Amino acid sequence: MDVWSLLLQGFYISISPGNLSACIIGVLIGTLVGVLPGIDTVSTIAMLLPFSYGMDSTTALILFAGIYYGSKYGGSTTSILLNVPGEAASTVTCLDGYPMGQKGRGGAALAVAAIGSFIAGTIGVIGLTLFAPPLAQAALAFGPPEYFALALVGLIVLTKLTGTSILKSGLMAAIGVMLGTVGLDSLSGISRFTFGIGELDRGFDLSILAMGVFGIGEILTVMTQPEDHPEIPRLKIRDLYPNREEWRRSVPAMFRGGIAGFLVGLLPGPAATISSFVSYALEKRCSKNPAEFGHGAIEGVAGPEAANNSAIAATMIPLLSLGLPFCGATAILLSGFMIHGITPGPALITQQPELFWGLIVSMYIGNVLLLIINLPLIGVFVQLLRTPLNILMPLVAVVTLTGAYAVNNSVFDLLWVVLFGILGFFLHRTGFEPAPLIIGMVIGPELERGLVQGLIICNGSIWSLVTRPIAGTILSFGAVVLVYSAGKWLYKAGNAREKIKC
Amino acid sequence: MKKKILCLVGCLFVITILSSGCSKATQPAAKTTKYPGKPITIIVPFSVGGGLDLAARALEKGAAKQLGQPLIVVNKPGGAGAVGWNELAGSSPDGYTIGMVAADMLCLPLYDSTKYNYPTALEPLAQVSAVPMVIAIQTGQPWQTLDELIAYGKSHPGQLKFGHGGVGSFPHVIGELFGEAAGIKMEQVPFRGAGEVTTALLGGHVQLIVVNPMVVKEHVRNGTVKVLAVTGEKRLKEPLLADVPTFKEQGLNVMLNNWYGVAAPKDLPIEVKTELEAGLKAAVTDPEFQQEMNNMGLQVEYVDARGFGEKWLADNRIFTRVVQETGILDVIKAQKK
Repeated sequence: MDVWSLLLQGFYISISPGNLSACIIGVLIGTLVGVLPGIDTVSTIAMLLPFSYGMDSTTALILFAGIYYGSKYGGSTTSILLNVPGEAASTVTCLDGYPMGQKGRGGAALAVAAIGSFIAGTIGVIGLTLFAPPLAQAALAFGPPEYFALALVGLIVLTKLTGTSILKSGLMAAIGVMLGTVGLDSLSGISRFTFGIGELDRGFDLSILAMGVFGIGEILTVMTQPEDHPEIPRLKIRDLYPNREEWRRSVPAMFRGGIAGFLVGLLPGPAATISSFVSYALEKRCSKNPAEFGHGAIEGVAGPEAANNSAIAATMIPLLSLGLPFCGATAILLSGFMIHGITPGPALITQQPELFWGLIVSMYIGNVLLLIINLPLIGVFVQLLRTPLNILMPLVAVVTLTGAYAVNNSVFDLLWVVLFGILGFFLHRTGFEPAPLIIGMVIGPELERGLVQGLIICNGSIWSLVTRPIAGTILSFGAVVLVYSAGKWLYKAGNAREKIKC
Repeated sequence: MKKKILCLVGCLFVITILSSGCSKATQPAAKTTKYPGKPITIIVPFSVGGGLDLAARALEKGAAKQLGQPLIVVNKPGGAGAVGWNELAGSSPDGYTIGMVAADMLCLPLYDSTKYNYPTALEPLAQVSAVPMVIAIQTGQPWQTLDELIAYGKSHPGQLKFGHGGVGSFPHVIGELFGEAAGIKMEQVPFRGAGEVTTALLGGHVQLIVVNPMVVKEHVRNGTVKVLAVTGEKRLKEPLLADVPTFKEQGLNVMLNNWYGVAAPKDLPIEVKTELEAGLKAAVTDPEFQQEMNNMGLQVEYVDARGFGEKWLADNRIFTRVVQETGILDVIKAQKK
C-alpha cells in the first residue's frame, strides 16, 4: 500500500532524535498550556516562534503541532478539579466533570478525559492520513449561507443542553448572542455597544466569560452554602480509575465524540469549542438517562473531551492541503510554516512528502506520549480534591484571576471576570444554566456573519438561503428537530392534562 | 503528603505572581544609557500569520544585530488594525515602542471611527515592503481575462461579487476602484481576512477577490486560481506571477500599492529617531532579510522616513477621493446610524 510506505518514511523522519525530542517538548508545553487557564495555544506558539528560527523546519513544525494538539489534553484538568476551564474547548467539561469530582469520581473523570482524548486524537489523525485532500475540497462547498444554516441549527439544537426549561435556556442563549455582538464588528470595523469604552472594542473573550461564570461563580456559590458540606471519602488507588460500569458508558461516547468532533473540525470557526458542545448534546440524546447530565454523567466528560481532540486533527486538513487556516491556532501554525519558508497548499503533500508525513506520524507518536504523560498525573491531581474548601476556593480565585489577566494582559478583563462571576452566581441561584449563554456567545457571531455574507451572495433574497442544497438540508434537519421536540412536548402536555382529568 | 503538595502548589503560585509582577513596571527607567538600552516592542495591529505579521517577524530575526537590541513582536489585533494603531499612537515616544503600519492605516481615520488620525499621530520610520494587490478568480469560469470579466460584469450588473478583508479596508478600496474604472457594478462581500476570502473564492461563493498575491500563490501553482491583474506600476517579481499584466497595461487606472512599514509615536527625540532610522535601513537592506521576505512572497522596497511620510500624504489624498466617490464612505456612515 502506498500510504503504508509513506507512513513508514514519515516514521523514520519523526523518530530521528531531534524530531522526537521536539515532539516530546511540544506535547509537554502543550499539556502545560492546557492545564493553565488563560494561557492559550496561539499566544504560546507566537511567543516561541523566535526560538524556532535556528531549527530545521520539520522539527519546528513538529514542535508547534505538538503544542497545538497537546493543549487540548490538559484543558479538562482544571475543569474537573476547580470548575475553571483550562481552555475554551473544555468549558463543557465543567458541566459534568466538576460534579464528578465533587462526588469523589474526579480520578475517573480525568482518566476518561485522557483516554478519550487519546482515542479521538488517533481517530482524527487516521482521518487526516487517509482523507485529507478530498475532505478539504468538501469543506469548500460550505459558503456563508451554509455557515448561517449550521449556526442557526446549532443554536436550536445545542441550546437545550441542560435540564432547565426551554424558555430559560432560550433566554440565556439570546443573551449570549447579544454579548457576542459587543465590540468592533469584524466585517465593518464599527464599534457596537461599547459606550465609548476603548477596551470593549476587543469584545468579550469566551474564556473570560467561561472562567467568570464557572470559576468565580462557583466560589460565590460555595461561600454562601451552609457549612456542613459532606466530607469527600478517602480515595483508594483503585478508585482513581474508572470502574467497569463507567468504562461501559464512556467508551462508545469516546468514539461518537471522536467522529462528531472530526466532522465539526472541518468547518471554519472555533471548531474545538463547538465540537465539544455538539458531542455533549449528542451524548445526552443517546443516553438512556439524560436526567443525569449536569450532575456527573461520565459520558458528558468522555464525549466532549474526545471531540475537541479529533477536531484539532481535522483543523489541520484545510491547513495542510489548502494552506487555509480555519481558526486562530492554525493561523499561527501557518505563520510558523511561512517563517520557515514553506507555503502549505495543494502541492505540499507531493512536493514536501517528508515534511507532511513526518508531521503526521509525529502526531501519532505525540498522542501516545500525551497519554503516557497524563495518566500518572491523575494520581497527583486527584489529591487536590481532598483539599479543604477554605483552601481550595482561594486557589480557584488565584487560578481564575491569573488566567483572566493572561488572556489579554488586561486589568480591565479582571473586572469583567468578576462581574461574570457574580452573574454566574445569580444564574445558579435562580435556576438558569450558564451553558446556553456560552453557546450563544460562540455561535452568535458566526450566525450574524453567515447571514450578512450569505444575503449579499444570494442577492439579498432570504429564500435563496433555503434553496441552496446544503444549506437547505441543514435547515430542514433543524426544522425536523423543532417539530419533533414540539410534538413531544404537546404529547406530554396532553398526557398530563388527561391525568389531571382523571 | 497532602500538605507537601499544597505547600508546593502555593509556592509555585507565589513565585509566578512575583515573577510576573517584577518583569515589567518595576524596572527603573534607564535614562542615562545610550538609546537602545533594552528590547524594543513592535506592535503588529493584526493577528499572527498575516503578511504584516510575517514582515515584522522577519525583521525580528536580525534585529539584535542591526538595531542593537532584540525586537519583541506583540500582536494587538482587532478593529481592522485600529486597536493596535491606537495603542501605538498612544504609547510614549521613547523609541521602545514602535509598530508596523500598512495602507489600511490611512483608510481608517477617513470613516471618523478612530481615536487618532494616524498619518499625523504617527512618525514614519521606514517603508519595508511594497505590496501590490491582485484580482484573482477561479479557473474554469466563463471569464478568464480581465476583458471577459468586465464584459460579463456589464451584461450582468450586480451579479459579480468580490470578496475582500473588511468594509473600508485597503482591498475593499481597490475593488471599488476597479469597479469604477471598468464601469461595472459589483457587490462587495466582506470577510475577516485573506484566508477566508480565498476559501470563499475556492468554494465558488464569490466570483473574484482582491488579495495580496502571496495568499493565492500556491493555488495559482496548482491551477485552481488565476490572477488577472496587478495594481501598481510594475509587474510582480515572483516568477509564477511575473506574466500577469498590471491594470495600467490593460488600460485601467487602478494604481495603488499597499505598503508595509515601521512607524513610531509622534515626537520621537531626534537622536532616537536617527538611531532607529539607521537601524531599520540596515535591517531592511540586509540581503538575508530580503531573501526571507522573497520566500514568503513579499517584495522588499526600502523607502527612507521622509519618502515614506510623503507617500502617506499622497496616498491619503487618493484614498479620501476614492472612498467618497465610490460610496464606501456612505455605506459606512449609513451603517453607523
